[in-house]
Amino acid sequence: MKILVYVLVIIHLVSCNKDSFTEELLLKPLYANKLYSHFQFTTKWDVDATSDSMFHTNLFPRAISEIVVRHNIQELHISLTAGLWRYETWGYPVVDAAPGAEVWAWFNPDTENVDKNWKELANSLSGLLCASLNFIDSTNSINPEISLRNSGVVQGQVNNTFLRYSSLPREIVCTENLTPWKKLLPCSSKAGIASLLNAGYIHNTQYHSVGIMFRPICADKACTRKAVELQQTVSLVYDYKMLGNRQWTLRRLFGQGIMNACPLAKESSIYVDLSNDDKFDLEPYPHEYITAYRGGYETTYAKYDIKRIKPMSIAASYEGKEIINVNIPPPLYASQYKTGFGQQNGGIITKLYNNHWADLNVVVLQNFPWYVPIYLHTMKIESNGNILQPTVLKYKPGKLREKAHYLEIGLRLPPKSTISISIDFDYVFLKWQEYPPDANHGFYIGSAIISAMLPLAKNYTGIPQDGSTIADSFNASRSGYLVQIRTETMIITLPTPDFSMPYNVICLACTVVALAFGPLHNITTKRLILKVTTKKKLSEKLKSFFKK
Amino acid sequence: MGLLTDPSAGQGKLIKLLLKYYAKLCVLLYTVGIVYFCALASSQINSSTYFSENALLPGLVRSEFMDNTMAMNYFDELKHEMKKYDDSIPYPWLLAKFRQLGLDTYTHNFSLNYPLGASQKFTGKNVYAIIRAPRAASTEALVLSVPYRPPVSVHAPTASSIAIMLAFAKFAVKEKYWAKDIIFLVTEHEQLGMQAWLEAYHGVTCGKKDVLISGDMKGRAGSIQAAINLEIHEPEIGQIDIKIEGLNGQLPNLDLFNLSGKMALKEGLSLTFKNRLAKRLKSLWRDWIYAFQTMMSMVVTQATGVPNGNHGLFYRFGIQAVTLEGFSLPNPKSNRAGFYTIARILEGTFRSLNNLLERFHQSFFFYLLSATDRYISIGLYIPAICLLAATFMIKAYAKWCQLHNNNKTDEKQAGGDAKNQLSDDVVKELEMKHAALTQGDWEQKFEVESEKPPNDKHVGLGHVSLVYVLSHVVGFALRDLPKYMSHVGATYGYSTETSIYGTFAAVSLLGVLFPLCIRRKPAYKSMSFLNIIALLEVGTALICLAMYNISIAMFLAAIYAPATLLINPTRCGSCRIVQRVLWLMMHPFVVFNVCIAVFTFTAFPNDSLEEVFYRALGASRQAMVYSIVDSEIYGNWLYNMITMIFVSTWLCFYYVTFGKADPSEQIIKKKSD
Repeated sequence: MKILVYVLVIIHLVSCNKDSFTEELLLKPLYANKLYSHFQFTTKWDVDATSDSMFHTNLFPRAISEIVVRHNIQELHISLTAGLWRYETWGYPVVDAAPGAEVWAWFNPDTENVDKNWKELANSLSGLLCASLNFIDSTNSINPEISLRNSGVVQGQVNNTFLRYSSLPREIVCTENLTPWKKLLPCSSKAGIASLLNAGYIHNTQYHSVGIMFRPICADKACTRKAVELQQTVSLVYDYKMLGNRQWTLRRLFGQGIMNACPLAKESSIYVDLSNDDKFDLEPYPHEYITAYRGGYETTYAKYDIKRIKPMSIAASYEGKEIINVNIPPPLYASQYKTGFGQQNGGIITKLYNNHWADLNVVVLQNFPWYVPIYLHTMKIESNGNILQPTVLKYKPGKLREKAHYLEIGLRLPPKSTISISIDFDYVFLKWQEYPPDANHGFYIGSAIISAMLPLAKNYTGIPQDGSTIADSFNASRSGYLVQIRTETMIITLPTPDFSMPYNVICLACTVVALAFGPLHNITTKRLILKVTTKKKLSEKLKSFFKK
Repeated sequence: MGLLTDPSAGQGKLIKLLLKYYAKLCVLLYTVGIVYFCALASSQINSSTYFSENALLPGLVRSEFMDNTMAMNYFDELKHEMKKYDDSIPYPWLLAKFRQLGLDTYTHNFSLNYPLGASQKFTGKNVYAIIRAPRAASTEALVLSVPYRPPVSVHAPTASSIAIMLAFAKFAVKEKYWAKDIIFLVTEHEQLGMQAWLEAYHGVTCGKKDVLISGDMKGRAGSIQAAINLEIHEPEIGQIDIKIEGLNGQLPNLDLFNLSGKMALKEGLSLTFKNRLAKRLKSLWRDWIYAFQTMMSMVVTQATGVPNGNHGLFYRFGIQAVTLEGFSLPNPKSNRAGFYTIARILEGTFRSLNNLLERFHQSFFFYLLSATDRYISIGLYIPAICLLAATFMIKAYAKWCQLHNNNKTDEKQAGGDAKNQLSDDVVKELEMKHAALTQGDWEQKFEVESEKPPNDKHVGLGHVSLVYVLSHVVGFALRDLPKYMSHVGATYGYSTETSIYGTFAAVSLLGVLFPLCIRRKPAYKSMSFLNIIALLEVGTALICLAMYNISIAMFLAAIYAPATLLINPTRCGSCRIVQRVLWLMMHPFVVFNVCIAVFTFTAFPNDSLEEVFYRALGASRQAMVYSIVDSEIYGNWLYNMITMIFVSTWLCFYYVTFGKADPSEQIIKKKSD
């Protein structure tokens, strides 16, 4: 019996060692009085993602592993975002996310019916995250050929028929999405860095984005075995103006200081980016200063090891007067807007700004809903007055009520240039049941995705593909730095009928029915009897009248 | 259509009645229409305004703006700064202020190639800044705009508006409830800057190509839902006036007007419309007079189709906008509202607009106002214009029936005369022969008859269409010729005003003289037909106009309906001359000059008659240039519409007066009398 117990303990220990959890928080002051705070929770698990052993979870959330196994998923990316990441002033975030909800998934190559799995996956996620992801189906999904490559390890040929992408720009992200998200963490929000995620505080930000990424990774350096990795992220951008002043502390940002580390975490640290021009002092003194060189740029971080501390709050105190610097925009950013007025025809313009001194290769992915029929022949790509030819052009026309329009353009952006891609579209009439309850609010067009491998890591915070924690991004110089810029979502007003008209008709019809009911009721319920009347002469009538 | 094509229709009892009384009926309709329209101002008929859009939740929040001193500081700084820039916008100061507040700040350059006269180029610069809403991804926006007026500007200053705007921006940037971006826009060159900014924002050109070059802009904030334009002239004001009339007579949604009005009242500021307070007078008659004056001043502004503020340019883009204009009253004690109050009005308005889930669609877009709190909806005023337009239609129909009746009587008379000449026997013989004729023979005979060339008795379609087309060609020429002549005139050293006014007058005169040169007098029937076509065109045009701009339609209908009723081809020479002289008075060019003269006279009642005459002449010359420039830059269609429809139809009617009367008509008239 004793031996059995030992064996079980050993087995348990072994299985425990197979997974690890890291929690990290990055605080980075941005241009224009903003503070970026990025929470990164990474769970790695040395397990075969397709087998039943996925169900025997320890640190890994069981809900995710069930979804992964059930829908035969290779890789999954979810983001729920409120607000827009302003690339021009804020640089690049750790994780790019489009406003609203965005989901993309790679299915395993042995999946029989990808569309069915995709639909079911969306429904499961909708339940998991309390978001309206159940609106995702084949009518608003696309499978891009170039833009959204696997970020995890892949065996064999990549086939984009197993990829699905969809975004719901209308989705409003709030507390009800954050609460179920927190439950996926090993310590939930009871301990560790996650305890800072108080809904009341984090929704008072300029931008907040909740993300989940699941992917297969290599278990060892030689990549003989596969493991799985789950990254859970929260990105917040605070505005000093909204906080009152720029002397921020953890308590002011999140409502409380940090109590302890998550006991299940292998590592638990807070990094503060100190490389801003506007210097500030940190209180308490950080445990370590890290200088990271990446892509030709040097960054200094202050590191706090939460495992080593007592309850505390980090406070930044700026000295001297506020300086307003000139903004130096990042090498590549983009924006998207609608042109024209009225409800006959309009245009969509995507503008790309290349501030780099050399050519940049980018891929622009655009996903137009079926109610925005675009005309490919009207597409014009201009750069400072010159017409630019796309290097690659992938286009799948949409179909009314069935399929979204998908457009992917490969471009070589000339150095120091502004490139505008314009395309015309028509406004269509919808069927009356296709209008949402607040039809006059307008209809959304999702953001475009501009993917590029930047040669420089200026203003870049992303985690390299081979890494999974913020610490992995230090000193991680690579040949290119992947950014996937999301543009603004747009709102268009489709020709909308007067929806009060059915109400008026109902009122009118009810009145008519009510009026008709009385006489009909009379006729059908009362008996008609013939009565003999004698004709009186006028004089007699008068007489009878006066007699009264 | 059956009525129009069925030849027997003219015989109906109703038609006979119509033919007998149509003139009286038209007079009746006209009178009723005018009286009804005037009566609409009465509070007995119109109704009080209300909020239709519940999402606005106006005035539900407590205003939080407190920073009066900051606004005062901005005002003093700006006053100082303005001295450095005589004729342009102090954009470095504005940019710096907005940037200090942490807003995304941009400039927008535009240029104007002046479309008339010698080619001139003007440039301008707008400054704008955007508060990015924390609750949305820049999909929707609100605009707060101020026209910047340099010290040399002829208009009342707006420096206080900019101070309020900055103070409000400073307040708003701290708030976390914004769900729509707020664009703070300072425009240069009055409406030109605003038009250029709007065109650049929407990537379109509204007027002629290459006239207003609106350029490109960098920062955008999604679709604009509403805009407030500020024209606060003094740091202390006594009352606030809401201006709504837009380009081509478009109006903002009534909910927005109510909203800004309610906010002003909530802060205890007196609110006016057309500089007139809402008054309740005990006497019904006086109350009506007061309301009628307010309504008519709106009608006059709307009829010109020229926006009376920068708000008026937003409507084309589906953006609801109003201008809040603040005046100081002559009595300094009554000027009690300062920056604090106005910024609080703005706060309330923007927070309400921020609540909007859907774009403005609930309340009225077509209305007239008789006070700040009374409105006349389209349902009420449309019958008035319909009654007036009906006079044209009824007269046209009566004329058409008359034409048919005459045809009938012609045939009858012809038959009767023949019968009289022949003895009964012959007639019988003839009838026998006719009976003997086969069907085919009849048809043959008929064809031969109808192939005969049209004589006086028939409608000369060729003649009519020639006149009709020619008069419209003159209309088109009047639309475009003055522009070209201004270029030609410039090379000979004439001013733009002179060449345009001269060209217009000359072309009009040519049109007037042309029919006099024609020897062959046009036939009665042809002229009657031309009259019908012209009547129908004017009637239709008026109804269409009324859909968009009731004021101009009412004005034109009120002027033209009585005059056109009198235009008939007659035999009596003196009548013809009277008609012609009367109709000459109705020429759009004459009407235009008379209107301007009347305005000048009322504006400068103390001047001598000669002075007023020269003043009026100068004003008309300028007004004509402005209306052409407006159509080139802003796409105002008042000038185009007047030249292409009203000048053309005027010519048609004028030609009608040259028609000879038909003898048969005289007979019928005598009979009916």
